[in-house]
Amino acid sequence: MKDAAITLHINGEEHKLNVAVNRTLLEVLRDQLGMTETKYGCGTGECGACTVLVDDRAINSCLALAATMDGKRITTAAGFAHFGELNHIQQAFNDEAAIQCGYCTPGMIVKTASLLAKNPDPTEHEIRHALEGNICRCTGYEKIVKAVQKAARTAPGRTVKADAACQEVAQ
Amino acid sequence: MSSRILPDFDLLLPKSLAEAVELLATHGQRITVMAGGTDVLVAMKFTQSPEYVMSLDGIPGLGYVVFDAAKGLRIGAKATIADLLAQPEVKQHYPALWHAAEIFATGQVRNTATVLGNLLRASPAGDCSCAIYAIGGKLILQRTDGRREVDIDDFWLSYGVTAREPDELAIELVLPPPAIGARSAFKRMTRTNDDLSKLNVAVQLEMLGNTCVEARFAMGCVAPTPLRLRNTEALLKGREITAELLARLVESVPSEISPIDDKRSTAEYRRQVSGVLLKRAIEEACSAA
Ligand SMILES: Cc1cc2nc3c(=O)[nH]c(=O)nc-3n(C[C@H](O)[C@H](O)[C@H](O)COP(=O)(O)OP(=O)(O)OC[C@H]3O[C@@H](n4cnc5c(N)ncnc54)[C@H](O)[C@@H]3O)c2cc1C
Ligand code: FES
Ligand code: FES
Repeated sequence: MKDAAITLHINGEEHKLNVAVNRTLLEVLRDQLGMTETKYGCGTGECGACTVLVDDRAINSCLALAATMDGKRITTAAGFAHFGELNHIQQAFNDEAAIQCGYCTPGMIVKTASLLAKNPDPTEHEIRHALEGNICRCTGYEKIVKAVQKAARTAPGRTVKADAACQEVAQ
Repeated sequence: MSSRILPDFDLLLPKSLAEAVELLATHGQRITVMAGGTDVLVAMKFTQSPEYVMSLDGIPGLGYVVFDAAKGLRIGAKATIADLLAQPEVKQHYPALWHAAEIFATGQVRNTATVLGNLLRASPAGDCSCAIYAIGGKLILQRTDGRREVDIDDFWLSYGVTAREPDELAIELVLPPPAIGARSAFKRMTRTNDDLSKLNVAVQLEMLGNTCVEARFAMGCVAPTPLRLRNTEALLKGREITAELLARLVESVPSEISPIDDKRSTAEYRRQVSGVLLKRAIEEACSAA
């Protein structure tokens, strides 16, 4: 087949689409649906700018065919905001000034969400390991690591813990 | 420069194994099989333009990683590197494979790329391929009229070419159950952390006290396919591991390999460090027990 009729559940909304089979998920999100928050960096799985969650797994949307995603739940960086309110991860990136040009940020936010879902209290090493597939040309990563630490501390439902830095000293 | 846009192709999305092998029987060579697509889609963005791409996505039940102490480890064709890492028995019984999976690419790629895809790609640099070659194992290939097993020792024929026939689908990899006294290790060298290997090595040893009764060494990026270092293995088998013997192994490796100059390294450098990397892997395997 050259085209496929698919249904995607993107950020909680159902989209019924006809896609050409040689379109990547990234191209469908950006070009067909106008959801430009997910970025194109390299197209070859190396930079992480295109990271989205597919059924809770972070993948590179530049290396996935939209036609094979029928029925899947997709979350982009914009999907974490509720009625225009930033969530704790997005807010932490803002607060820690972990954004310069912002091009890597949507991918960073999505990958951070998948990390914190599995590991709510990651060490600095675990944060850096989790973000190994997300390249940032601006910040030097220091502030991004701080933003992820802050997001972990400010996650809803978490009791406020000692500052991550203090914990590391204590160990 | 490539536009990094996928060329036109016809997508095949079989809903069962039977349908998949039927399609392979009909179209054979004209089909490119796609599991995770991390090799296939990148290749298509640059050079390759297959007529048909057959995705395994719609086939149920091939995503398993199952360990059985008597039968070994079974890995289905759709099991990703992340699925492998989620199994504690892999870390416990197949440390070389676990380590190769742990350093593999990035989290996003590990969530997509399959273990079998790494073997089927037949790249000399494949990290899981290297570890699996040292451990040993069998691939199960299915076609319409039945299945056959191919030993990993006979699987890679030349660069990018495997023993799989165009009408066959690889459905499972089986690793042997861990032998008593078995230990393994994997090591690699890269230009940067997330680059492909410029050299990788895996060792599997069976020890009886200090004596090595069985040894399998696999090295990558030093020949057109992953390579068994059979002469060097023979030097170790049946002997006690001593510093002198390890020094002889280090000397032996360069004569068994045929590395080339490429963008990741030079033949000369690979020859120089190959023996040392093997020695370190043996030391790591021994110390991990
Ligand atoms: C950014 C990036 C980083 C990478 N890093 C690494 C790394 O660190 N180490 C490493 O070894 N590799 C790496 N790779 C290469 C690639 O991810 C691996 O080779 C991976 O294991 C391929 O699996 P896949 O499921 O994506 O295979 P696919 O791309 O789907 O297929 C690979 C090959 O196998 C064939 N094939 C797949 N499944 C079957 C089957 N069931 N039956 C018959 N044929 C089949 C395909 O036709 C194709 O030839 C990297 C790739 C990218 C894009
Ligand atoms: S655009 Fe997908 S990883 Fe770079
Ligand atoms: S803020 Fe510019 S690439 Fe990260």
